[in-house]
Amino acid sequence: MLNNKKRVFWEALFLTVVVFLFGVLIGISFESNKVEQIRQYYSFSEASIMDVFAVNNLVDTESANCSILESANFEFADGIYEEAIILEKYEDSGKITEGMVLEHKKYDLLRTLLWINDIKTEKKCGKNYHTVVYLYEYQPDDLAQRATQNVWSKILTDLKTEYGNEVLLIPIAVDSDLVSLNSLTDKYSIQEYPVLIVDDEIIVDELSSVEDIGGLIN
Amino acid sequence: MVEFITVVYLIYSFIAFYFLFLFLLIYFQNKQEFFSYPKPDRDYELTMVIPCYNGEGAIGGTIQGLVDAGYRGLKKIIVVDDCSKDNSYKIMKEYEKKYPELVKVVQTPKNTGNAAGAKNYGAKFADTELIGFTDDDSFIEKGSIDKMVGFFNDEKVGSVTCSVLVHNRKKFIEKLQSIEYKVIKFSRKLLEFVDSIYVTPGPLGIFRKSAFDKVGGFDVNNLAEDIEITWHLQAEGYKVKMSVPARAYSVAPSKINAWVKQRNRWNIGGLQTISKYNNDWFRKGMLGNFILPFFVFSWVVGLFGLGVFVYRILRLTILNFVSTKLSVEAQTAVLRFSDINLVPNVLIFLGVTVFFLSFTYTIMALLNMSEKSHYRRENFFTVGFYMLFYLLAYPIILIISGYKFLKGDRKWGR
Repeated sequence: MLNNKKRVFWEALFLTVVVFLFGVLIGISFESNKVEQIRQYYSFSEASIMDVFAVNNLVDTESANCSILESANFEFADGIYEEAIILEKYEDSGKITEGMVLEHKKYDLLRTLLWINDIKTEKKCGKNYHTVVYLYEYQPDDLAQRATQNVWSKILTDLKTEYGNEVLLIPIAVDSDLVSLNSLTDKYSIQEYPVLIVDDEIIVDELSSVEDIGGLIN
Repeated sequence: MVEFITVVYLIYSFIAFYFLFLFLLIYFQNKQEFFSYPKPDRDYELTMVIPCYNGEGAIGGTIQGLVDAGYRGLKKIIVVDDCSKDNSYKIMKEYEKKYPELVKVVQTPKNTGNAAGAKNYGAKFADTELIGFTDDDSFIEKGSIDKMVGFFNDEKVGSVTCSVLVHNRKKFIEKLQSIEYKVIKFSRKLLEFVDSIYVTPGPLGIFRKSAFDKVGGFDVNNLAEDIEITWHLQAEGYKVKMSVPARAYSVAPSKINAWVKQRNRWNIGGLQTISKYNNDWFRKGMLGNFILPFFVFSWVVGLFGLGVFVYRILRLTILNFVSTKLSVEAQTAVLRFSDINLVPNVLIFLGVTVFFLSFTYTIMALLNMSEKSHYRRENFFTVGFYMLFYLLAYPIILIISGYKFLKGDRKWGR
């Protein structure tokens, strides 16, 4: 008798497992599609940074001039900024798979390469614009830090809107464990994140308004 | 690694899917028998007991309702006055005069402090094969008892319950409870098909007198004596049945305070019952194999879920508060359209599916049985509110009840 009654419990379990697995598989496939989309963006951006590096080498041979290099830097920075916004949204919706974390790290590497290229550009051509590097932590547990980073990213969006091509904005997550990035940041002896490095000289570690940052770069 | 909170969401989705599928499967496998009830193979003699404490407002109607229920085998209506301080006793006596052959009024020597005491006192005056109980504010629909007694043809049946519905449905809180009672009624019948009815509710329950005596009547120390006696019957190997077409209407609390008090009593009674039968895990048929684990599991899932929910809400509130404060200080926008993430994820997909399945289940429960025209159908807004907010209050009440239980607060609260 008990076994007869129990059958429906097993049937329900079977149905649940089937539906649940189906749902999770749809979720994984959905997330994988998004990762694939980001990978495609990344491949294009990877090609673009190689192109920027090539332009940099051409400046050495005087086959290209500094204004071409500058605009290549800005074009690349703007491109990966747009992609970073998409990446952030996909990251928030990525719940099961880990693909987005790796893509984020790859983008941090691209941004580090951009920063390196920007330093090289300055040495070769001097500068008609300002570089603002924003160093933050990837998904910190501390709520105050998370709130501060949220507000920083809004301020920097405003800054970019207001100053356009006068400012080259490079946001990088510092906990991506990139040797090149660590080598670049070591000299600043930064104790806490997030911070802003303006024109490789000025460190801003407290939230400031667009106006204040504007004052620094002017 | 997948985040802890994602794992929690996935486990909760799985549990929700499981119970929804379980109930839906039981329904579709037993749909034909849902409203059926056996014809009695003889005239069962019945004594009805009505415990009453300060029930002057409804006791007359309850007695009259029982008389009018029209059951031929009804031999006696024992109305137990539990030392009321109002005019209840006087009203009872009037009915005793009106129906001297049928109504007998008795009075407890002193107030028993709970319904169980008064019910047990009244049961002493019963000498029929069946004994039934109804609350002093319940109204039994005509013909309902006839639709219940046939289940006693099976010697193993110890008690039979009916559809308990809300009588008063004017206020919003009453309408919400009306929906709740209908869903509970629907679910209870489904549980009958797997021998897992866990309560014979107070508004109308009929017991085989020998089974009632065997379990020693109601547990006077339990705040939910109707749950305890049902578990006791199950533990003794009796079956508990439900007749869906039989209906009793109960007066539901009209104020939040009274509602919370009632829910606390049910929950504390449930906890008392769990601790009393704690040694019966995976023993004694469906009691140890389903009812007990189901009750304990509901508590764990409810409390843990509420804990996670509160933690998440608290974190989000703090984050938003600090972000807003900093945004104002930094003279930047507090919220931008671009901050809103419209990219769906697997948790939303599972959550929406669970919600729609639950909604379907609720609608099935509501449409399952037609009612008299003066009971208006629930509107869409009330059903939505019930699903989105009313059910969320359950775990909060669980916490209050758990705290009171641990504190040893076992007052009936009347």
